[in-house]
Amino acid sequence: MIINGVTIDATFAEAFPMKGTRIIITAHNAKWAMISAQAFTGFATSVIACGCEAGIERELDPSETPDGRHGVAVLIFAMGGKGLAKQVETRAGQCVLTSPTSALFSGVDGETEMALGQNLRFFGDGFQISKMIDGKRYWRIPVMDGEFLTQEKTGVVSSVGGGNFLVLAESQAQALAACEAAIEEMKKIPNVIMPFPGGVVRSGSKVGSKYKALNASTNDAFCPTLKGQTKSDLSPEVESVMEIVIDGLTKEDIDKAMRVGIQAVCDLGAENGIRRISAGNYGGKLGPFHFHLQEIMA
Amino acid sequence: MSALTFTLKTAPAQRIDCSPLTPDALAEKSLADIAAIELQTGNTTTRVDSLFDVSGEDTNEIAFVANSDKLDFIGHSMTQGRIRVIGNAGAYVGIFMDGGEIEINGNTGIYTACEMKSGQIKVNGNTGDFVGGARPGRKNGMTGGTVIITGNSGDRTGDHMRRGMILIEGNAGDYCAARMVSGTIAVLGDTGAHLGYAMKRGTVLLTQTPSRGISANFNDCGSHTLAFLPLLFASFAKLDSKFAQVESFSRVQRYAGDLAGIGMGEILVKI
Repeated sequence: MIINGVTIDATFAEAFPMKGTRIIITAHNAKWAMISAQAFTGFATSVIACGCEAGIERELDPSETPDGRHGVAVLIFAMGGKGLAKQVETRAGQCVLTSPTSALFSGVDGETEMALGQNLRFFGDGFQISKMIDGKRYWRIPVMDGEFLTQEKTGVVSSVGGGNFLVLAESQAQALAACEAAIEEMKKIPNVIMPFPGGVVRSGSKVGSKYKALNASTNDAFCPTLKGQTKSDLSPEVESVMEIVIDGLTKEDIDKAMRVGIQAVCDLGAENGIRRISAGNYGGKLGPFHFHLQEIMA
Repeated sequence: MSALTFTLKTAPAQRIDCSPLTPDALAEKSLADIAAIELQTGNTTTRVDSLFDVSGEDTNEIAFVANSDKLDFIGHSMTQGRIRVIGNAGAYVGIFMDGGEIEINGNTGIYTACEMKSGQIKVNGNTGDFVGGARPGRKNGMTGGTVIITGNSGDRTGDHMRRGMILIEGNAGDYCAARMVSGTIAVLGDTGAHLGYAMKRGTVLLTQTPSRGISANFNDCGSHTLAFLPLLFASFAKLDSKFAQVESFSRVQRYAGDLAGIGMGEILVKI
């Protein structure tokens, strides 16, 4: 398959089941809601070392938030419910509770529930106040700038993590420009995040390493400087490869995000140095979710 | 199907225990079965059809056409369905209620919503004392649900109240929120003496400063913008009540008490 001079490989991205949730952070204004959300989603690019993958889904107008203030919707994913709960609690405690004027709400009803502010309430040292409103429990925790309001629980959703595609370009600048264009479009799709810095990862990994202590290492087949040193998957004119990883609440959400992202890259086309779109997989044996590039773009 | 309607034949001499006449208790019963139910009246029992004209067949929608303050225990332990009273009702309306809806187009007696767990009671009139309270000797009053009073509530509203919401469009009597354990009482009108007496936790939300003032047992914590109030007002929006029309506010003067006890309750007054 070739779109606008860009070859779409006959391969697939392999993704895994994850547990995810959406939280809504509100604040006095959009600036402080974003600051809190950025802190919450910091160091959350990959479950390999961060324990979770998190990102900002979108900004919310006051009309869309529970308390009528500016807000930010955040998605966070982990490999299991317990891990997710731990990450949400520590991040909420250190990054949202501490952030001036913030409030924290659940943004999704899941199959099950887990603690959101349930344990943060103990920070109130006995002065915390519980309020049941419309069947949901909230905690009012006295803090130095007033009161921190948090919903007690949030929903846990069976999600999908690790959808991806690779952009193979003639130069680093062209690969980056194509990925930026893709991210711009993918951000418009609800229920997904691209957790890496700016949505783009330049250090895609393969499973395993020559070093026993590591279970992942550089994806040498796609490293352009190794074209003459390893069993490379790159043609001579490809000088840079970048990857976009997508986590979403459902497989269909990731399908949509990949489609608009790949299309944005292809719109730049061969004339802007884009040669191929490929994807990372493990032979289809590890992850139950397969995103076939040519089917998605058909 | 038309509502199952109990029309009181004559003003009763004794109090009538209406607890068997709920959607739960009457489900699957024929009109003849219902007519034969014996209701406790004073120190004896009387058949339903001796006291009421019975018509209609929808046991999930029950109406009492009975302007008597002697009809007690209406909606006792009901978990679903709807009961409407055209006229006054007696004591213990909605006691132990765990779902469904009761609407009274008149006044109610004492202990309305006593130890209620869930559901909604709307009184289009005034209520007696101890709304949402606990029975004498019991420690927990209502533990959930919503009570809307379009008129005034009697004394000791929310006595021992544990959870849930009491919304009073008119005035509240003396000792409002006395011994309150938790939950929310909101009053659009005035409140009587000894507001929040022995209050442990919970919230009393007032749209005007009480004419009798705030008790010395409550300390002024200053004026604040509280983030939970917009959520609370948003939850009022679906109610058939003046509270749905109240313009949302979050600026309040906060008073904490009763400091003679644990002092974790609060009175919030709109500023």
